[in-house]
Amino acid sequence: MKKSMVFLTALLLFVAVPAAASDAIRVGEIATVTGDFAAYGVAEVESVKIAVEEINAAGGVLGRKLEVVMYDCRTRQEDMVNAARRLVEQDKVVAVIGPSGSGLCIAAAPIFNRGRVAHLGTLPTNPLVTVDEAGKVRPYNFRICFLDPYQGRMMAYFAAKDLNASKAAVLYDVSSDYSQGQREFFVKGFEEFGGRIVADEGFRGDDVDFRSQLTNIKEKKPDVLIFPFMGKALPLAVKQARELGIKTVIVGGDGYGDFMWEVAGDALGDTYWVSHVDRYDPTLKDFFDKYKERTGTECQEFMNAVMAYDCVYWLKDAIERAGSDDPVKVRDALEATASLELLHCVLTMDEFHNPKDKDGVMLKCDPKQKKALFFKKVRPE
Amino acid sequence: MPLNFALSTLFQQIINGLSLGSVYALIAVGYSLVYSILLFSNFAHGGFLVVGGYACYYLLTQSGYGIVLASAGAVLASGVVAVLTERLAYKPIRERTSTTLYLLIASMGVSIVIENIFVIVVGGRFRALPQDTFPSGVFSLGSGVTVNASDILSLAVAVIFLGALQLFLSRTRWGLAIRAAACDLRTAGLMGVNVSLLIGIVFFVAGLLAAVGGIFLSAKYSIYPQLGNITIKAFIAAVIGGLGSLPGAVLGSLLLGLAEMLTAGFISSQMRDIVVFSMLVAMLLVRPAGFFGKRVGDKI
Repeated sequence: MKKSMVFLTALLLFVAVPAAASDAIRVGEIATVTGDFAAYGVAEVESVKIAVEEINAAGGVLGRKLEVVMYDCRTRQEDMVNAARRLVEQDKVVAVIGPSGSGLCIAAAPIFNRGRVAHLGTLPTNPLVTVDEAGKVRPYNFRICFLDPYQGRMMAYFAAKDLNASKAAVLYDVSSDYSQGQREFFVKGFEEFGGRIVADEGFRGDDVDFRSQLTNIKEKKPDVLIFPFMGKALPLAVKQARELGIKTVIVGGDGYGDFMWEVAGDALGDTYWVSHVDRYDPTLKDFFDKYKERTGTECQEFMNAVMAYDCVYWLKDAIERAGSDDPVKVRDALEATASLELLHCVLTMDEFHNPKDKDGVMLKCDPKQKKALFFKKVRPE
Repeated sequence: MPLNFALSTLFQQIINGLSLGSVYALIAVGYSLVYSILLFSNFAHGGFLVVGGYACYYLLTQSGYGIVLASAGAVLASGVVAVLTERLAYKPIRERTSTTLYLLIASMGVSIVIENIFVIVVGGRFRALPQDTFPSGVFSLGSGVTVNASDILSLAVAVIFLGALQLFLSRTRWGLAIRAAACDLRTAGLMGVNVSLLIGIVFFVAGLLAAVGGIFLSAKYSIYPQLGNITIKAFIAAVIGGLGSLPGAVLGSLLLGLAEMLTAGFISSQMRDIVVFSMLVAMLLVRPAGFFGKRVGDKI
C-alpha cells in the first residue's frame, strides 16, 4: 500500500512539474480527429499548429508562447463534453478552438459557460451554437463562420434565381443539427422565392446507402437537388444519384471538400457548393503552401483549415487587447472584436457572437480540373 | 410494354435491396462460419473487412498492382490477420475457459484495436478505390430502372465465393472435419482432427470472405476505419437466417437488404433501422434459431 502511494506521488510530481514550470498560455483545441468527420478535424489540427508555430516564432503573445492542448472528440457528443470539461476544469486553458460540428458545439456549450472559458467554433453553422433555445446569447460561445439561416437562404436564392428552379428535392441527415438547420432554412427560403418542395427525404448520419431515397426523389423529377449535409455521405450521395440516372443539378452546403473527387469523381459535374472561402483565392496561397510543406498533402478540407487558422489569430488578438490570459477578460475582448483583418475576412462580431456581413461564395465543380472553382458571390435578398 | 411509374420504383428498390443484401451475405457467412465452430459471434469480423479494404486500396494505388493481384493480396492479408487474431486473442482464452462470453468480449476489444490502428497509421479520411477498378457502367432495364455493373459483379462474386465455400465444406477432407467439429468440437478432436489447425482454417476462410466483402464495400462506399461497423447489419442477417447456417446467412442478408430498401423507399428512411431491429426481435421471439436454424448437431 505504502509503496503504491509513493509511486503515485512520484508520478504526480513527474506529471505536474513540467506543467508548473511552463509559462506558456494554454489554448484548448477540440477536433474530430477520428470518426466520420476525421478528415475535417485533421485539417483543423494541422492549421492550428501552423498558426501557433508562426505566432511563437514571432515572439508569442504578451511575451509568452502559446501552447495547444488538443483532444479528439471522435465526432461524438459525449466525447466532446468530456474534452470540454477537461480543458476547462483541469487544463485551465484561456479559450477553446473547434470543432466544426454544430451538434458537438451545442452539446458542450453549457460546460464553457459554467466554466467561464470562451469557445470559438470553426465551422458550426447552426444558430443554437451561440444562442440558447430562447434566443438569448450564450456569453462564452463564438463562431467565425456564417450561419445556416444564411447559407440555407443562400442555396434557396441561388436555386430559384440563378438556376431558375421551381421544383426542389431535399435529402438531409435527420441526426444532424447542421443538416436539419440548413434544410429548414432552405425550404423556407425556396418557398418564399416561389419554389415548391417535391421531395423531402431523410437519412441517418452513419448511413452509406441512399439509393432508396434517391429513387423516390428521381420519381418526382425535381429541377434541383439539395444536399445540406457533410462528410462521406456527400460524395456517396452524389455518386449514387448519378448511378441512378439522376442528372439534375445538385446544390449543397459548406460540407464540400476536395476529398470528394476521390469518391465521386466525374459525378461531381453540375454540382454547386456554398463556401466560406475560395480555395484558389491568391491571398490564401501562402497558407496552403505551408500546409502542404508541413503535412506532405494538399489541404483538401480547406474551409476547416482556414477557419481554424484564423481562429488562432483571432484569439491572439483578443489576448493582446485584453492584456491578460484571464479567460473572462479574453472573452470580453473576443466579444468586442471589430475590423480585425484575418486571412479570409475582416472580422467584426455582432451582438449574437456571429461575424457581421460575411459574403458567401458559390463554388462550381469542374470535372476536367477536378476542382471546385469560384462561381459567384451570393448575398440573398 | 412500359411499366407504370410506381411499379418501376418498386423494381428499382428491389434491385437496390438485392445489391445491398449480396454484400451483407459475404460478411454474414463469415460470422456464421466462426459461430458454427466456436459458438460465439466474432465482432472482430468487421476489422478483417477493413484490413481487406485497406490492403486492396494500397496495393492498387501504391504498388501499382491490378485488381486481381491486389484482391489476392487483400484476401491473404485479411486471412492472416484473422488467423493471428485467433492465435493471439482467442486461443489463450479458449485454453483457459469454455465460457464463450469471454471470446465475445475479446472480439469486441479486437474490433476496437483494429479500428484504432488504422486511425493512427493511415488516418481517419475516407478513401476510394481508383475509379476504373470495377466496371462503372449503368444498365437501363427500361422505365427508368437502372442497375450498376459493379452491383452485378458483386452479386456474381458473392455467388461464386459462397458456392466455392459450399464445395469446400461438402467435398474436401477439411470440409468434412469442419462439419464434424461443428457437431462437436471436442469429439472431433478425440477422433484425430487437429482442432487447432482446423480453427485456423476456419478463421482464414472467414477472413478471406470478409476481405471480399471489404473490397466491394470499399468500391461502393469508400474505405475508412469505421467501415467495419456495417457488419452489425450482417450479423443481424446471420441471426435472422440462423447462426451457423450458410444458406441461412445468405437468405437473411438478402431479406435484410430488401427490408431496408423497401422500408426507406415506401415508409420512411428513419424507420429503416427500427424495421431491421424489429425483424431481429420478432425472429428471436418466434423462431430463435432463425429461418435455417437447426439442431446444433446439424449445423453447416
